[in-house]
Amino acid sequence: MKALNEGDAEATSTFQIPLGPQHPALAESESFTLTVDGERVVDASLRIGYVHRGIEKALEAGTYIQNLYLIERICGICSHAHTFCYSQNIDEALGIETPPRARFLRTILMELGRIHSHLLWLGLAGHEVGFDTLFMYTWRDREAIMDLQELITGNRVNFAFYTIGGVRRDISGPTIERIKKVLKVIRDRMRYYKWVALNERTFLKRTVGVGILRTEDALRYCAVGPTARGSNVKRDVRKDDPHGAYDEIPFNVITYDGCDVASRTLVRIDEILESANIVEYALDHLPSGPIRVKVPRSVPPNETISRVEAPRGELFHYLKSNGTEKPERYKVRTPTLANLASIRTMLVGGYLADVPIAIASIDPCFCCTDRVTVINEGLGSREVWTLDRLRKYAEDWYRRR
Amino acid sequence: MEFASFQTILQITIFPGIAFVIVLSLFLQWLSRKFYARLQNRYGPLHTGLAGFLQPLADLIKLLSKEDIEARTVYKVPFRLLPIFLLTIPLMATMYVPMAEPFKGIVSFEGDLVFVIFLLTLYAVLVFLAAWSSGNPYSILGGVRTAMQLLGYEIPLAIALLAPAIKAGTLSIGGIVAWEGRNLPFILLQPLGFVVALVGFMAELEIVPFDIPEAKTELVAGWQTEFSGRKLALIRLSRDVELVFVSSLIVALFLAGPAGPSPIPPIFWFLVKVIAIVFIVSNLKALFARFRIDQMIRGSWKLLLPLALLQVAIILLIP
Amino acid sequence: MEVELLRSMTKRPATLRYPFERAQPVEGLRGKPVWDMEKCIGCGLCQRDCPTRAIEMTGRGRQAEFKVYYDRCAFCAQCAESCPVGAITMTQEYELAAFEHGQMMQEYRRTRASSSPPSPSSQSPPQEK
Repeated sequence: MKALNEGDAEATSTFQIPLGPQHPALAESESFTLTVDGERVVDASLRIGYVHRGIEKALEAGTYIQNLYLIERICGICSHAHTFCYSQNIDEALGIETPPRARFLRTILMELGRIHSHLLWLGLAGHEVGFDTLFMYTWRDREAIMDLQELITGNRVNFAFYTIGGVRRDISGPTIERIKKVLKVIRDRMRYYKWVALNERTFLKRTVGVGILRTEDALRYCAVGPTARGSNVKRDVRKDDPHGAYDEIPFNVITYDGCDVASRTLVRIDEILESANIVEYALDHLPSGPIRVKVPRSVPPNETISRVEAPRGELFHYLKSNGTEKPERYKVRTPTLANLASIRTMLVGGYLADVPIAIASIDPCFCCTDRVTVINEGLGSREVWTLDRLRKYAEDWYRRR
Repeated sequence: MEFASFQTILQITIFPGIAFVIVLSLFLQWLSRKFYARLQNRYGPLHTGLAGFLQPLADLIKLLSKEDIEARTVYKVPFRLLPIFLLTIPLMATMYVPMAEPFKGIVSFEGDLVFVIFLLTLYAVLVFLAAWSSGNPYSILGGVRTAMQLLGYEIPLAIALLAPAIKAGTLSIGGIVAWEGRNLPFILLQPLGFVVALVGFMAELEIVPFDIPEAKTELVAGWQTEFSGRKLALIRLSRDVELVFVSSLIVALFLAGPAGPSPIPPIFWFLVKVIAIVFIVSNLKALFARFRIDQMIRGSWKLLLPLALLQVAIILLIP
Repeated sequence: MEVELLRSMTKRPATLRYPFERAQPVEGLRGKPVWDMEKCIGCGLCQRDCPTRAIEMTGRGRQAEFKVYYDRCAFCAQCAESCPVGAITMTQEYELAAFEHGQMMQEYRRTRASSSPPSPSSQSPPQEK
């Protein structure tokens, strides 16, 4: 970082602030470079790829069964969404039909995961605006959901619940009672948080009118998930492309038209309430029957895709199989990648102080996002890089800096 | 040349001087952290000493023993000297505030209220200098925000602090406390001034909702970013001492200082009142989110300043 | 909001003071997997399906011996699921930290009488409350 304006003849009034790669505002490493003029952000540019772990390549080296557990670990918060999408994908490639009870159980866990992810986000949003009390409260309430997940699957994160052909564990009567009790508590707490989000003046001052993403921009930049739904774009994979048991469970798609951070907050809070309803309905209408079907170990040559509505938006997996036990190519496109393009519109023209909350409002999960395809805008080329080439490029780039 | 008497030196260094103030500042930090944690349904410091009582001391010792890194871009002389000055100023200011028996500070003179307000402003200016000498964009932004915040709260705060002086007819803090002892504490006579002073002091201390200059999620650590090791220890200590100073000033000006019913020593009343102020501040800290700098400044000029002026108007119009 | 804050003061804090207070592990918690060598038939399916290569089997059939690296184990329970005879059980033990990698490896082999005792780890498991 060069020292500031030491005897610059043409001292400009803007200067550049790096936000990242390591920064307290970001849970994971990403690098934003903001050009600011006083407190106003004039331009923003983004570099991703810091959390690239070579997962897609590693997936080619493991069998389908082993990959279940690697896919889980793409992300800690949306781990359930990735496994759901993966198992759905392989089911599709094998051409098997998952039993109805399994589909309902998958949906139940998916919605519980959505509740816990949105509660986590609510805490983070509070922390970003300096509202630590909200952070402490929401994460305390989230513990109830984590304990529930532990009861159902055996672990708080990384559930190992979804498998190819169904789910691995069943839920019993007492567990169902427990779930309903916890959901009642969650509903009460969420009504309280909704009141806070609508009435707490200091919180409103930081979220209303901040991070504006107009509807036409949301459509143009292909925003997904609550980011789009906060800008009045009614896009939800659960309705558009029903998976699991979503075509048998009635629910509403929540949209708000404020186009700012406050709208996205309200979308997520309402989605938690909606998810609680979905889980209760699913528990009440749980069909009986087997929870999984036996599947062969190798998958015939096929090309399949699978989409689910992860807490952050549309999650998309692609599989190319070649008749062996290992996939030939597996591609993951996460919702955060789709939402990243919208960040720039949200940041430019706003205040520097609004940057963390604006970035946080798309609920970025960068560890989900960093599978790199390098698009070199200047050359108009698009190539997939090997790790070696990436490393060399990084060395050259830092040396030149 | 007269030297200070032995008793004065003892007062300055031990009680109620430097040693007492530093111990009190660590105690108040512990109290504030525990209270803040309980409001958030958690424990706060727990295992160091009884109920985490020694945690602030442990933090201080830990920081003093850490490596003191200086980036290449710092301006060495101010960078090294400023933490010492930042600690000295609040310590010096506490000498003027009455904490124990004689109901006046260890040192006092007519007009020391104005001197103390000046010291507060000087502190903010030194913070800005500390930020500038760090040579780091986060620090500079933090320093600029401190300076902007100073422009916002300083005038309403000064007016709210001078309101008791106008009524009491004296600019000496000890004199104001004596007036309160003979009449009523100013919190009853000037509640508006109390509120404005409290808000102004929270902005001075950079406590939520006014912790904009050191917004952790926006600017890493704001103006404190580059300081580490011993310098950071001194800066942290200076913040705690400032809390003691500010609380004791509010107690002196609005709550009649160490005065209280007689068999119990005044130092006890002083402590009770200071702890009450710390509780109020911690509660407000837990209750609010952080303002944005433009909202804070707009609020100060549109709200705080008119309220402070209104308070003075009330005093002048109503005998 | 203020009411909520004050009410939190009267409630017990939500923190568990570990290690003095511990959360009770739920039934079905996927803790440390253990091998019952009496049942094991040495088919090798657990080793084949383990995603992290934490299981090393030497020998085959009834003479199979295992080295399990618990620092690689992901606690996914795929081994327990794949085992055709149910020789692997997921216990509820989750406090498995050690100071060195070497201390996290455990060997299982059949002895004449029963399965071998575990190799010493740096900390004995704490008493269950």
